[in-house]
Amino acid sequence: MRNQSRLLDIIDRAYDGPPCEERDFDLKHVAAGVARVVKEYDIGFDRSRFIQRDDAVIDRLFDASLDFLESCGVYNTSTGRRMVFTRREIEEYLASAPWEAVIGEGRDARTERYRAVEDATPPIIIGGPIGAPLSEDMFVPIMQSYIQEPIVDTAGVGCLDSTYGREARTQSALEVMAAWQEVDLIFDAARRAGRPGMAFGCVSMAISEVGHLSAISRGGYRPVDWHMIAMFSEMKVNNGLLIKVAHSVRQDGVIQSFYNPILGGLGGGEEGIAVLIVAGLVAMQLMYMAATHSSAPVTPLIPADTVPPLLRSMSAAHLALSRHTGLMTDLPISPLAGPGTETLLYEVVAAATIGTVCGASRLMGPRSATGVHLNHCTGLESRFMGEVGHAVTGMSLDQAEEVVQKAVAEYEPELDGKPFGKPFEELYDVARVRPRDEWLGIYDKVKEEVASWGVDFR
Amino acid sequence: MAIDPKYSELVTNIENGDEDGGIEAAKGLLESGVDPLDIVQDAIMPCLKEIGDRFARMEVFLPEMMLAADVVKGVQDVLRERFSAIEVASEGRVVIGTVFGDIHDIGKNIVAAVLEANGYEVHNLGVNVDPKDFIKKAREVDADLIGLSSLMTTSIPYMRDVIDLVKESEVDRDRFKLIIGGGPVSEETVELTGADGWGENAADAVDAVRALMESG
Repeated sequence: MRNQSRLLDIIDRAYDGPPCEERDFDLKHVAAGVARVVKEYDIGFDRSRFIQRDDAVIDRLFDASLDFLESCGVYNTSTGRRMVFTRREIEEYLASAPWEAVIGEGRDARTERYRAVEDATPPIIIGGPIGAPLSEDMFVPIMQSYIQEPIVDTAGVGCLDSTYGREARTQSALEVMAAWQEVDLIFDAARRAGRPGMAFGCVSMAISEVGHLSAISRGGYRPVDWHMIAMFSEMKVNNGLLIKVAHSVRQDGVIQSFYNPILGGLGGGEEGIAVLIVAGLVAMQLMYMAATHSSAPVTPLIPADTVPPLLRSMSAAHLALSRHTGLMTDLPISPLAGPGTETLLYEVVAAATIGTVCGASRLMGPRSATGVHLNHCTGLESRFMGEVGHAVTGMSLDQAEEVVQKAVAEYEPELDGKPFGKPFEELYDVARVRPRDEWLGIYDKVKEEVASWGVDFR
Repeated sequence: MAIDPKYSELVTNIENGDEDGGIEAAKGLLESGVDPLDIVQDAIMPCLKEIGDRFARMEVFLPEMMLAADVVKGVQDVLRERFSAIEVASEGRVVIGTVFGDIHDIGKNIVAAVLEANGYEVHNLGVNVDPKDFIKKAREVDADLIGLSSLMTTSIPYMRDVIDLVKESEVDRDRFKLIIGGGPVSEETVELTGADGWGENAADAVDAVRALMESG
């Protein structure tokens, strides 16, 4: 178990920190704070590129983000207080953060590690639709389609669209039932795929602490699964989240933290979002003692993280974290397009390439079709994500930039058409859990095209 | 529409989020004999519309919209103080909040700010709002429309609770329009919940609200 004294110290800060009105926190601490550091540290991205190449800007981004975190802190909406950290504490906690972790068990166990920029070791591949809605009858075959892919190391679980024919209501007994149904079904899918020891991201159906505490216990999710705990936009937690942290720390679980800032929100433009990603992921290391740290920023206009401004934000943030810390980071891929389309695969190429060369420890997803449309996800796109991640491993940032430029040119004009694709049952033989020729043909075509750009899939 | 230069100080203060400056500029205009309704219609409304359009182009962001809305509220208070008989024009009254079980607020706040920028009077209830509290507030302010936000599929049932409460009430059924939005919301969610409409994103939400208001 991790340091209990530190856990208690974090809990204390929820009650001892300076009181603050939420609106003041939003405007004076977050919005003004981000604007200040972006200006003071002269953070400006090269709009002609997706992967930022000016190391001085990346280094200033890291310093600016720690400055911002120290001045802003994290707001606890339950207690109305800012949980603040000194620069010394921030640096000490970062220095003691884990740089590797073992997830899963038996022959399905995997060791995930910190990755450097242009690292020669491929990232861990997390296959799965991560919270996208799945119908009860399709949950097992869909999740099996991910788990059975050899290149997938661990799986991110979808959300049940209903539980035993009922609406799954958060903060009710139905949340507990849904969380346990998820446990039953995901381990059934793992057994069918022959990978019972694989680690899973959990608990997808636990929006509140109720499902988390219930399903991560005897007979349910294990310490070797990765326990997902969020921080809310922007820079906020509540006591429910801290309850999840306390439970997972006492379970000695591998904690995966995530935080998704909003472009155009309190952080402003893409440089501000990069500050929020770096500061947010560091904050979650301080508060959650997380093993891995994840951020899928969003925009209020296009619900995908593959739009050019966010690709720049994510690349810069991952570069900054990889250059200056030993943190393990995830790059979640949330494309707009869905399965059965070329567009989805090109979006995956851009994001997976950026994550791999910029030092992300894990590629996650893809969360196809914005993660909203029922059953619009298949294991084949995770296979492709993993293949791209492995193929671009070791590429230089400049080589990777060429790949990303070509991929974005392929998909960006298509996004206005909202190509959400087709549901799993139309693209896979459900009984055999095998992709149909239509979807395989599209996959082969895009893979061949991407190979012609110099991406070596062998 | 070009804004008359006599309003430039007021407009600049709204754009800069300077509440004191905006109030002083409004007082100056009143003292020079400008009709308060003209201030609203010829300066405030087009200025807010322009800010909303700039947000859609990602030229300004949520903080600027929030601060501009604060300035406008301060100015409206001055106009009401000085001319209590005059009702400041509004496109309509909206009660908005994130439904029970969900504490995500930024997306909903962006929609609230864009609606304010487009002339709507917005009552923002915050997050994790009990279904009955939406109805209570809508009755209290005589709202035209209730906006429900959720980022979580497991909170969507609580959207439907609000909608059911309205639809099952003889008093409220024809009184409040209901619109939903948020990450997991789609056309299918509208069918599932019985909402009157939905917004796919912040800009779309304004169009959807406008369409619902015009439909009577």
